[in-house]
Amino acid sequence: MKLKSLTYILSASLSFSLFSCGGGSHESDELSTNDSTKVDSLALNTEADANSIIYQVPSPSEMLTFVKMVGGKNNKNASFLNPSDNAKNYNDAKSKAINFGIYGCDLSYCSTFEMGVEALKYFKVVKQLGDEIGVSTTIDANVAKRLEKNVGNSDSLASITDDLYYNSFEDLQKGKQGSTLALMVAGGYIESLYIVTNLNKFDAKNPATQRIADQKYTLDNIIEFMKNFESDASVAEVLKDLNSLKTDYDALKETSVATDAPAKGIKVLDGGTNVEITDVQYKAISEKVKSIRNSYTTVK
Amino acid sequence: MKKVVAIFVFAIILNYSNNSFSQSSICANFHKEHCVNEPAKGDKREFLYNSQSRSGLFSQGSISKLRCVIYKGMDYRLSLCCETAGTQVNFKIIDAKTKEELFDNAKNENAQQFEFQSNSTRNLLIEVSVPSGDATEAKGKPMDGACVGLLIEHKISERSGFSKY
Repeated sequence: MKLKSLTYILSASLSFSLFSCGGGSHESDELSTNDSTKVDSLALNTEADANSIIYQVPSPSEMLTFVKMVGGKNNKNASFLNPSDNAKNYNDAKSKAINFGIYGCDLSYCSTFEMGVEALKYFKVVKQLGDEIGVSTTIDANVAKRLEKNVGNSDSLASITDDLYYNSFEDLQKGKQGSTLALMVAGGYIESLYIVTNLNKFDAKNPATQRIADQKYTLDNIIEFMKNFESDASVAEVLKDLNSLKTDYDALKETSVATDAPAKGIKVLDGGTNVEITDVQYKAISEKVKSIRNSYTTVK
Repeated sequence: MKKVVAIFVFAIILNYSNNSFSQSSICANFHKEHCVNEPAKGDKREFLYNSQSRSGLFSQGSISKLRCVIYKGMDYRLSLCCETAGTQVNFKIIDAKTKEELFDNAKNENAQQFEFQSNSTRNLLIEVSVPSGDATEAKGKPMDGACVGLLIEHKISERSGFSKY
């Protein structure tokens, strides 16, 4: 096996702390001794190793792409996005980081739904806020040129904005800006819920409605991830908002899933539960999301 | 003096192995660059990159767990790859809520790629490990650290019958 130099390992060891791409490492209450027992028998790791979990969070664009693919490709409406003019009024670190996530999601929406001109407009504010929060190396002039060149190509636009999101993520990690990263992730998540609940009215049979219900799981992971940085007052405030939303999600009924007939040619993981959402609950979650989101975007 | 250095190095290695996937920056894009497989001839399926993919620096004996959201109605493809060819990398898929083990590649011919659907949307734990003392150690080259990538891809499952959506 390839032998890494001692210097390499030393730098790896000393440079990186316990937070990660898409989520942080955090001891979950629900994952306790059973896991550690199982893992300890497998390798020479400490108990801390066994219990340490990285919480991953799907990017906002994945939900937007899904909504487009299940029938919403004509849902082009930039009127409810955060006006780009607001960017100049975000002067504190918290609002800059959250709105970087919000504008990043708006940019992703415009790209995914083929609104090239709006995408360019949102790219400018993402770049502006990115420069201010320390991810300027990710958002260079070449990205702008690529965007301009691909205004009419939604697949390319979406790919470019996805890269922008992932690279911003990496930049914030490398810079050990965990709190900023947490706020950006929360902003992007709330904005994606806001956009989809604006595009999609309740319809129990619509996969987009179910996808909103299923956000319960992503919310759980974001909250666990953010707990790593809750000593930061801004993160603690946003955590309070997300926990309030979690109260609504926790009220959704979960029913055991029956075993399906095996799918052709692919392994099916059985079990789990189905999260059910009613019209009333959907509206309540939409309203809560709107209220939280507007509290972040409104210029005070 | 040698003992002091050895203890220091050991402590540091323990520190970095606390969760191998958390050592993201050193191996940051390893999964994007090395875990992508060319589709088999005639395979026209288009899987999309899933942002819950991850790379990390692993030593022998390292175990790392990722908690990921998996949606019903989607096909997923997990691909594992290691910087050092031939290294055995194990992974298990566990239901995060019930702790039920759903898949173990060690019981499936050490498959480094796995395609699946889930009957329900849920959080899964993906536990990745590099066993202690694998064959390479016998060759006198113990692994101090190598990048391991976990690439997750997804696509909407094929549906049978007519559907409005």
